[in-house]
Amino acid sequence: MKKIALFLTAFVGLTACQKDFLDLKPLSQPNVDNFYKTATDFNNAVNGAYDALQSSNQYGNDYNTVIEARGDNVLDNDPSSSSGLRYNIDRFIEPTTNTVLRDTWGSLYTGINRCNLILDKIDGITMDATLKARYKGEAQFIRALSYFNLVRLWGKVPLVLTAGTTTEARSYIRNEVADIYTAIEKDLIAAAAGLPASYTGNDIGRATSGAATGLLGKVYVTEKKYDLAVSALTNLANGTTYQLLPNIADVFSVTNKNNAELLFSVKFKKGGTIGEGHGSWFGTSIGDPIEPSLRAAYPAGDKRLPLTVMVPVPTSINAVPRKFYDELSSTSDVGNDFPVLRYADVLLLYAEALNQVGYQADGEAFKALNRVRTRAGVAAYTSAQLATKEAFQTAIINERRLELALESDRWFDLIRTGTAVAAIKVTGITMPDYRVVYPIPQSEIDVYNNKTSFPQNQGY
Amino acid sequence: MSTVNTDDIESIEVLKDASASAIYGSRGSNGVVLITTKRGKEGKTVINYDSYVGVQNVSKKIDMLDAYEYAQMSYEAKNNAYLDRNPTGKPTDSNDIRNKGVGAPSTLIQPEIVPYLSGQAGLTNTNWQDAIFRSATIQNHTLSISGGKDNVKYYLSGNYLNQRGVVINSGFKRYGMRANVEVKSGRLTAGINFNPTYSYHDLIKAEGPYLGEGVVGLALQMAPIFPVYNADGSYNFGGNAWGYGATSILNPVAIANQVSDKLSQLRLLGNAYAQYEIIDGLSYRLSVGTDINSFQRDYYRPSTLEIRDRKGASTPTGFSRAQNFVDWLVENTLTYNRSFGQHTISALAGFSSQKDRRVANELTATNFPNDLVTTLNAGQVTSGSSDIQEWSLLSYLGRVQYDYNGKYLLSGAIRADGSSRFGKANRWGYFPSVSAGWNVSQETFLKSVNWLSDLKIRASYGLTGNFQIPNYGSVSLLNYSNYILGNETVVSGLAPGNSANDKLKWEKTAMLDVGFDVSFLRNKLNLTVDYYNANTSDLLLNVPVPRASGFSTELQNIGKVNNQGIEFTLGTRQTFGRLRWDASANIASNRNEVKALGPAGDPIIVAGGVAGAQFITQIGHPIGEYYTMINDGVFKNQAEIDAYPHTSTTRPGDFKFRDNNGDGKIDFNSDRAVTGSYFPKYTFGFNTSFAYRGFDLAVAVQGVQGHKILNLIRRYIYNMEGNGNLFRGALDRWQSADNPGNGLVNRANRLASGSNGEISTWHIEDGSYVRVRNITLGYSLPAGVLSRLHLSRARLYVTTQNPFTFTKYLGFNPEVNSRPDSALSSGEDYGTYPLARTTSVGLNLSF
Repeated sequence: MKKIALFLTAFVGLTACQKDFLDLKPLSQPNVDNFYKTATDFNNAVNGAYDALQSSNQYGNDYNTVIEARGDNVLDNDPSSSSGLRYNIDRFIEPTTNTVLRDTWGSLYTGINRCNLILDKIDGITMDATLKARYKGEAQFIRALSYFNLVRLWGKVPLVLTAGTTTEARSYIRNEVADIYTAIEKDLIAAAAGLPASYTGNDIGRATSGAATGLLGKVYVTEKKYDLAVSALTNLANGTTYQLLPNIADVFSVTNKNNAELLFSVKFKKGGTIGEGHGSWFGTSIGDPIEPSLRAAYPAGDKRLPLTVMVPVPTSINAVPRKFYDELSSTSDVGNDFPVLRYADVLLLYAEALNQVGYQADGEAFKALNRVRTRAGVAAYTSAQLATKEAFQTAIINERRLELALESDRWFDLIRTGTAVAAIKVTGITMPDYRVVYPIPQSEIDVYNNKTSFPQNQGY
Repeated sequence: MSTVNTDDIESIEVLKDASASAIYGSRGSNGVVLITTKRGKEGKTVINYDSYVGVQNVSKKIDMLDAYEYAQMSYEAKNNAYLDRNPTGKPTDSNDIRNKGVGAPSTLIQPEIVPYLSGQAGLTNTNWQDAIFRSATIQNHTLSISGGKDNVKYYLSGNYLNQRGVVINSGFKRYGMRANVEVKSGRLTAGINFNPTYSYHDLIKAEGPYLGEGVVGLALQMAPIFPVYNADGSYNFGGNAWGYGATSILNPVAIANQVSDKLSQLRLLGNAYAQYEIIDGLSYRLSVGTDINSFQRDYYRPSTLEIRDRKGASTPTGFSRAQNFVDWLVENTLTYNRSFGQHTISALAGFSSQKDRRVANELTATNFPNDLVTTLNAGQVTSGSSDIQEWSLLSYLGRVQYDYNGKYLLSGAIRADGSSRFGKANRWGYFPSVSAGWNVSQETFLKSVNWLSDLKIRASYGLTGNFQIPNYGSVSLLNYSNYILGNETVVSGLAPGNSANDKLKWEKTAMLDVGFDVSFLRNKLNLTVDYYNANTSDLLLNVPVPRASGFSTELQNIGKVNNQGIEFTLGTRQTFGRLRWDASANIASNRNEVKALGPAGDPIIVAGGVAGAQFITQIGHPIGEYYTMINDGVFKNQAEIDAYPHTSTTRPGDFKFRDNNGDGKIDFNSDRAVTGSYFPKYTFGFNTSFAYRGFDLAVAVQGVQGHKILNLIRRYIYNMEGNGNLFRGALDRWQSADNPGNGLVNRANRLASGSNGEISTWHIEDGSYVRVRNITLGYSLPAGVLSRLHLSRARLYVTTQNPFTFTKYLGFNPEVNSRPDSALSSGEDYGTYPLARTTSVGLNLSF
């Protein structure tokens, strides 16, 4: 019996010393439970939020389809690749299952979730107050930009301002457009207060108070809140922090990044295996993607016209518009930054808002508009040419098309001014009225499966 | 498995029911495969030499267009794209006219195809499959020595395998040895099984579509008008950056020959055990096992190989990757066996712990100055990574078995398993099982029934578990999400890569198994019938979640699935004089049905290899059915289009998709239908063998019937776009209203209209097949000859594996599944390595 007891003791003993045996923590990846504790953690988290903007589903690639090709500047002439995935968007025949739309929607919320996590957790952490305000401001800026794109693309979307579980997410609804704009304004006002005016060294490129204010002005113009837009944009437009570069081509040059015209760009770097580059924007081997009507809209001698000319990329079969020309790296990517908001846009928004508040012959609005025109080498407008508020507004929207072509702006101008259907008709494409917003991705309709709280957009 | 030498295997046993697999652990959800290796036997020393040498070939090639047919089809595709855009154009318009009229390169005629159009004889006509496939040798040699004396038993073996690949420049070599030694001393038995193996792979990327440089996909798509080599002996890259709207296809022979991709693996598989009989009937056993795996892979892509869409020399790239796995398992068991008269009791208690650790390192380099030195020191290292992962498992086990006179058998077991992968509160799973058996033929009332030689009835019920999820599946891990700031400086960013789910727990299967074994006519005929009914609950699945959560899917326990099936095996063993005949036939059928899904029971829809390739999982149906459009052939003329709903770009010769919901519109969402399942209706097998004097002949046949395969390779080789080569079925295409082909194949068009590429039943095929797995003919020398040669056994044989397959499936092999780990989307073929047909001669010698 003694032997048995001995073995049993040994047996039990072997089993007892295993308390933490199953408690294995990830060794090579940090996890949410041990993160969001220090200032460094938040620095990394904020960088991760910017990274979402870089995604190929946003500025990295797909906005070129979802925003630019949708408008009347760019066409997609390839109905066969991926069964016309992108062609269908250009031609207003995309089904609700279009995966470019699904992935853009998903990527925007991925970025929003990253911002929400930062804003949920940072208040409880002790760190330098200026730094904390900056991190919050950056997260608010990225969140506002993401919602601004979401609401313009889809209309009513879930307004998520704190990170929820996937179970909680099932009860999200499609919030009112006005509520979403209220949240965007609130974020941008807070961001403008919390963000610094400029950065140095390796912080250059982060969102500034100027970027937040400028974006706020653009939001106000979109909402037709012109008084607020004027007051938001006056200092920016009349200040010297941001300037028009004398030569417009320099704004987009890959050797002139972070130049004085840019309020905010999404930044890239080509080469290597770091995955921070992107494919050539509007690069194609199957024909010219620029709508003839865009090139025809430029007056003679306009320096912006050559920026739309397709330039062959050496060693490749592709050509790209000069605005986004860059040589391929050894890993076949390029590194143009995406100009999200630049001073020329601010001037045009300012001019538009002033004119809407009250037309004034050869007033401030004319000056702002003409600064953009003369920089491009074309004659300034006079009040004789633009004698009314309406004429001025038409000229502004046309100028925005010429100035901001290929910069994911035109489609939003068309829908906010209610001119999309007519403009698209000029390109020979029929746009049904209801397609001013995109269909909610079918995957989301399926996952909510609730026609009352989560209906599809009308017409789809 | 590729490191285990089949000559060392004594037996392979498959345990399917919950009770039988209970003591082998929680990974028994899909049954347990027990492999027993050979050990020495008491007596004379035996030396065995087993060897075979053979030739392998691909068992199938896909019938593609030749260069002339390709040129004609491509020309037609270009013209249709041109005329769609320029209805006043003529097929004879020159490229200059086309360029002015439409300006799309895809409508221009490639000058390279022009000579073929006039039928000029003797032009390049490359069969790219012939260029990458070859006859490849295989040889295998095993020498073993075994025996036992004075309480020591041993089995020692050495093995060499050299298998060249059926794709050029690929192969596999293995050097292995094994020592199984057992010592007995009084109440103590101890032993060591040790199996070191070194293997060396010359890898080739064969699988996947052309985009990822899969050479098989490239060989199918490469235009046959290009030669493999230029006149000067260099590789021809005419298919790359060709222009004219053609898809860039790299020369697969160049890739196979020029990419250097070597993988070596050292595996130490070992196990030491000791068993001590404490008192009669009560034993304690300790077993310590290790499985140590070390991989080293070196890859180099030289400058002489072009990259897609770019002409000329490329920048070389390389990587070096090391992975080390250390897995150990300690098992303690106490067993007690005792008989009291007719009653026999056997009890077992066990405890085991297991831990697995994986360490991986990788370096990537580029900008090698030349191709002379291909190790990374010659280039500039651009990135490096290092990753460690672990998992652990603890198990407690108890089992009691009772046997009354060999007539009544009862068994009950319970095990508890704890896995590190689940949330803290849900780590442990409990898995009880019971079984009973009745040996009816032992009953006195059956003893007199002469025609019945044996009858056993058995039943079991039990739970098994599944923990096959990522190591940290319940934790929200942060991924590196870097950004660029300042003067193009990479700044590190972190962001959650998956959501947290601390409720994650064991998936469980409750399985009932009832069966009987019956033998007739002195065991000449026997029949086994099994019925099972298994309910799996809390399935571990990646379920789509609202993307507004920041994630697209989450690993969750969701739903219930039922599997019910029946299996029959009928065997016979007959002797006619000196002829012995064995045969066995089996047939099995399984029915899979989803019983519950999530709180609301909503269907789960996921996409496969491409977005349109959807799979639906819904209550009342098998899991993961194809969910696509239905293709009803082509619209033969404009009148047919006018009479039926169609897409806005549909023209005669384009596909007719079914308006499945009957709303008068074609919608690629609401018109989807369930269009098949990967689950077969039934599977069967047939094995037979004959022995006559020294000769033996064996044949094995296997079949799977009634399952569908989503063949996504058809997107490329059957898309009628003419930018790559096509399957020969393209000859049946629609060409005009007067010449509509077979009514199934759409018209050639480089810029396809009518959304012809949308995934539909056009891409779904019947995967049913019958395959002759093996035919072997052997001859053993008679005893008289053997003794003169001092041999105890000598057998010579010829064998062929996979000699015949009968199937309508278009792809290389109907046994295919791109994502074996994903229950929600199985059955997709997106490019596979063709199955080899091997013919070899072998020799078994015993001294």
